[in-house]
Amino acid sequence: MLEIDNLRVKQGAAELHYNLRALPGELLAIQGRSGVGKSTLLHAIAGFLPVAGGDIRWKGRSLLKLTVEQRPVSLLFQDHNLFEHINVWHNLRLGMPAEQSPEPLHQAAEVLQVTELLQRKPSELSGGQRQRIGLIRALLRPEPIVLLDEPFAELDPQTRQLAAEWSRATAKNGHKTLLLVTHQDEDVERVADRALQL
Amino acid sequence: MQRAGIAALLFSVLVTVLAFQGLIGFGHGGADWSLLSDRYYQSVLLFSLKQASLSALLSLLLAWPLARALYYRPQLPARRGFLSLCVLAFVMPTLVLITGLVALLGRNGLLSPLLGEQWNLYGLNGILIAHVYLNLPFAVRVMLQQLQHIPDSSWQLAAQLKLSRWQRLRLIEWPTLKPAVLVLFGFVFVLCFNSFAVVLALGGGPRATTLEVAIYQALKYDFNIPEALTLAWSQLLIAGSLFLLLSRWGRSHWLSVDTLQRQWIPQPNQPMKLIHAMVYAAGWLLLLLPIVALLPGVLEVDMARFGWSALLRPTLVSLVVGLLAAGGAMLLAYLMLTPVRQAHLKRQRKRALLLEWLSTHALVAPAMVVSVGLYILLLRQIDLDRWGMLFVVLLNMLMVVPFAVQQLRPRLLQYDAQYHRLCRALKLSGRQRLRLEWPFLRPAFIASFALILVLAIGDLAIFAIFGNEQWTTLPWLIYSYAGSYRIAEASLASLLLLLLCALIVWAFERIRLDA
Repeated sequence: MLEIDNLRVKQGAAELHYNLRALPGELLAIQGRSGVGKSTLLHAIAGFLPVAGGDIRWKGRSLLKLTVEQRPVSLLFQDHNLFEHINVWHNLRLGMPAEQSPEPLHQAAEVLQVTELLQRKPSELSGGQRQRIGLIRALLRPEPIVLLDEPFAELDPQTRQLAAEWSRATAKNGHKTLLLVTHQDEDVERVADRALQL
Repeated sequence: MQRAGIAALLFSVLVTVLAFQGLIGFGHGGADWSLLSDRYYQSVLLFSLKQASLSALLSLLLAWPLARALYYRPQLPARRGFLSLCVLAFVMPTLVLITGLVALLGRNGLLSPLLGEQWNLYGLNGILIAHVYLNLPFAVRVMLQQLQHIPDSSWQLAAQLKLSRWQRLRLIEWPTLKPAVLVLFGFVFVLCFNSFAVVLALGGGPRATTLEVAIYQALKYDFNIPEALTLAWSQLLIAGSLFLLLSRWGRSHWLSVDTLQRQWIPQPNQPMKLIHAMVYAAGWLLLLLPIVALLPGVLEVDMARFGWSALLRPTLVSLVVGLLAAGGAMLLAYLMLTPVRQAHLKRQRKRALLLEWLSTHALVAPAMVVSVGLYILLLRQIDLDRWGMLFVVLLNMLMVVPFAVQQLRPRLLQYDAQYHRLCRALKLSGRQRLRLEWPFLRPAFIASFALILVLAIGDLAIFAIFGNEQWTTLPWLIYSYAGSYRIAEASLASLLLLLLCALIVWAFERIRLDA
């Protein structure tokens, strides 16, 4: 279980407080008005922000002493998820173990309609295409906790539905604990088991 | 990697400290501070400041219209060739430039009759001309690079709002150029303030001497070590403080090539187009004249009877010394930047500033003091006749490291700003990170390598102290020819050295563009 107990994170002069529980395999949507600290929470769990107090535990073990590299977390940033100087396929393979079969990546690319983009450079992609590439990698990496920061923001309604349904199915199949930051209620309905209002 | 970086920094600082120690130890004491109230010292200091300020000011003022012409008229003929020529001019071995300038504007120069009876190349005139020649092309490239960062949307908005030419200059061009101009002025000032060969060759006695030349004279003619140390500390303090301020002020893109292809630039009107074309032609003329001036001298050489083999070995020696020094400098610069990058990532501004200053301190440390100090220190420990060339490579490597650092740093910091978090989030190994970093760094790396290779090949000062006749380099051969009044041979060897440098710049620009 992912447990966040009285977590305190400083943001400028303000201090943000968090408490939440998520079961293994549970998909949790995080909502709240802009600036309330949704992304801050994801960055703190991933280890990018120093914590002023409280604890983050995974399966009973505190993550606070672990570096970003040691935490069992896969994070999709709001933007800047791709290296601009290498092609999309190379980007997709990053963060995957060398022995992992490329087949799931190909299948995901097929489902999310990005197969023909794999040999291109990210600069040749639209915002929505880039988001789908980042999403595939974030969900297929072998990490039990997946954090998605507004992953569907730049998608058209049709692709948004497709990506949301694929995300839910993949997370459930992989028995991943997923935290999804979103402003859209429809994303909550399509992806999450429950929603948390910050 | 972090430890290797700190070790690289310590190594470079240690060499400078040991060199100073060598001089202090030999002189049985420190600097002679009473010199500060001496008239000679004050006039040398004033002249150093004056010529450096004027050189920097003129270089920038003349570079500005040229950069604008290149920016507004991307279709100018041979524009890419001109930009390559700018790199070549900036790194041109000083000896070649001086030979060219003397052939052009010296007592019997090609253009001297047009300049009247009063004309004299030697003194402030010659120093300013040579410094402007070396630094104007550099300023052109930095300013052009800066202008190319103006987004299309700004020009489109300006056009939509029907802004006048003056408004566009004030609201778009100048704010883009301002941060670079300040840093650029300081950088060119430091280069000219520390100038040695130009002032030595074209300076006119005590009234046109800089600190670096005064150090040389104090060591060579009087072997007055306390005086040399006073001058050296003064130079280190002034140039070092200024350089520290520069590091604080801002960033510039230095010699990286214009990669941004603009889609939408305002089209100048017909008279303006004509002005741009004339400025551009003047730029070509300015950069080519000293090179062309070498040709009549070359024609005087009896090609059939000339001992070409005399040029072959020095050329090869120069190349090998250059390649070893440049290769080592690139490695050293990359390693030195590791702790700098870490400090930036941890937002330790003061630490970053200090480490950056240390990594580039060779730019402000008087080269003459470093070479002579080390020579004195090593003389009693090592057989320098045998191992001297090793120190030629080592010192050249340390002297060009700051240029490599200046070029690699912005690119690596940009990489970290863009991708450091992503690399960590993806849990990439050190090897994976290096493999990802390389294609990003490659263009800057290649451009930087070419630049410092040419700088190292052109070295004369370090070879003069540590080198020997058995391993003569091409610049030393030119110097020897000129010293024995074999001007035709000197011109021919200068042209060969220039061609070698041009070939390197051209080849690396090709490789970089293909990369």
